[in-house]
Amino acid sequence: MTPIAIEALGLSAGYGGREVLQDVSLTLRAGEILCMIGHNGAGKSTLLRVLFGLHRPSAGNVRIFGDTLPGFTPAALGAAGVALVPEGRGVFPDLTVEEIFGLALWSAGVPKSGQRERIDEVLEVLPRIKEFRTRRAGTLSGGQQQMVSIGRALLTRPKVLLLDEPSIGLAPKLFQDLIRPIAALRESRGMSILLVEQNVREAFAVSDRVLVMRSGKFIFEGAPAELDHARLMELF
Amino acid sequence: MLFLQLLLQGLQTGALYALTAAGFALIFGATRIFHFAHGATFAIAGYVFLYFWNAGQPWPGALAAIAAAVVFGLGMERFVYRPIQRHEGSFFTVFVAAFGVAVVVQNLIGMIAGRGFASVDTPLSMANEVLPDVFLAPIFWIAIAVAIVLFVALSAFLTRTHAGVGLRALAQNPDLLRAYGLSSNRLSMLAFALGSAMAAPAAILTAMTTGLNEAVGHHVMLISMAATIVGGVGSLRGAALAGLMLGVAESVALQFVDTQWAEGVSFLVLFAFIIFRPSGIFGVAQTR
Repeated sequence: MTPIAIEALGLSAGYGGREVLQDVSLTLRAGEILCMIGHNGAGKSTLLRVLFGLHRPSAGNVRIFGDTLPGFTPAALGAAGVALVPEGRGVFPDLTVEEIFGLALWSAGVPKSGQRERIDEVLEVLPRIKEFRTRRAGTLSGGQQQMVSIGRALLTRPKVLLLDEPSIGLAPKLFQDLIRPIAALRESRGMSILLVEQNVREAFAVSDRVLVMRSGKFIFEGAPAELDHARLMELF
Repeated sequence: MLFLQLLLQGLQTGALYALTAAGFALIFGATRIFHFAHGATFAIAGYVFLYFWNAGQPWPGALAAIAAAVVFGLGMERFVYRPIQRHEGSFFTVFVAAFGVAVVVQNLIGMIAGRGFASVDTPLSMANEVLPDVFLAPIFWIAIAVAIVLFVALSAFLTRTHAGVGLRALAQNPDLLRAYGLSSNRLSMLAFALGSAMAAPAAILTAMTTGLNEAVGHHVMLISMAATIVGGVGSLRGAALAGLMLGVAESVALQFVDTQWAEGVSFLVLFAFIIFRPSGIFGVAQTR
């Protein structure tokens, strides 16, 4: 039986008394790419924030590889092998790419002796980063910033990658170039990916399973092939 | 020669302003907390040093002053600002709380150490004639050297260490820092510890030169605030340079105005910047 990377049961969460997630349960299997789609405001990003310990749920619990972490904080989740690529450009504009990578390695507690190897691994997956690694992130294009943001997450050698709308502001071709090597890591490293995406066509091409969210609840779960255009229109 | 004498004195005062202003700018830049009690940190450090000096323990006194500054800064972060921020308190709430603490510290110092000026008597502040009619005390060189060394060390820390880069990241986006798995609270504490520590050498050197009184914190705070705005909010080198500039302006102004008006010169410079270059020396102009 395939082990379970993330198991969330009965999650509810909100902001200032407004409930955004309502009793949501989710299972992400090891080595799986699970795509989550839905309207803006459906609760997708909130769910990712809850899963990465950035937002406290009002109910429910989450297990990572079968364990309930004692302190459900981003640092504890990072140590357990979970990394988040947040929505928007997850980079600090005034820091260079090298400084951003340095922060990621520091946060992951990677000793100096192992840092070169980690960076080489990331550059193998996203080789174009070599071209601009000494530049300030704020001077990079949207696609380059997204590459850095994903590269930063990969430096921690995550077993689970949470990706929040990486295609925002990117041309479809650019998104393809970005997501395909990441998706390939499922094969090479057995990494699980939870991908929140609006670019349905490209996201479905790399996903094993799809969840559709509306008003804080899942209203569909199945294979990408089950969601043809008509069905998508009906669900949206 | 009077101008040169005032200029050199201004450089000494400015070096101390630069240190204090850089500490305030570091805290404000990294955490966006308007730490009005930074002047109280300065006063506490100065009086702790004075106490040890009078007990014949100058070096332990210097260490105790730094420790007291750091403990006070960390205490403010942990027990005053963090609870206010946790309850989403406004900028004004933070300011009033800090102002209140600064007033309490000023009164406590007055009660414990007595009111009026107090200074340490040291040969380091005895002036010698270095040029005809130009007098300099060894403390001048010490003040300049301490300011340069500490500023270079702080700059190196911010650019060459992960913790320093983390502080710069904290200034840009604390939420994103959490997504990186880093604790913004810990980095905020580091900013307060370092920024407060920067005030201690300036306080010690002030005790050895112009002396301290219980209200010294307010003056220092106003200068730090002015230097932060003149230098460009968020720019450490800007705050340090502006601190130096304000010290020189105050001193050189003595050629034209009485001592009691010299402080006003700093604020004239501040107003001039607010009107003609509101983004400060190194700040980036905001466009609508």
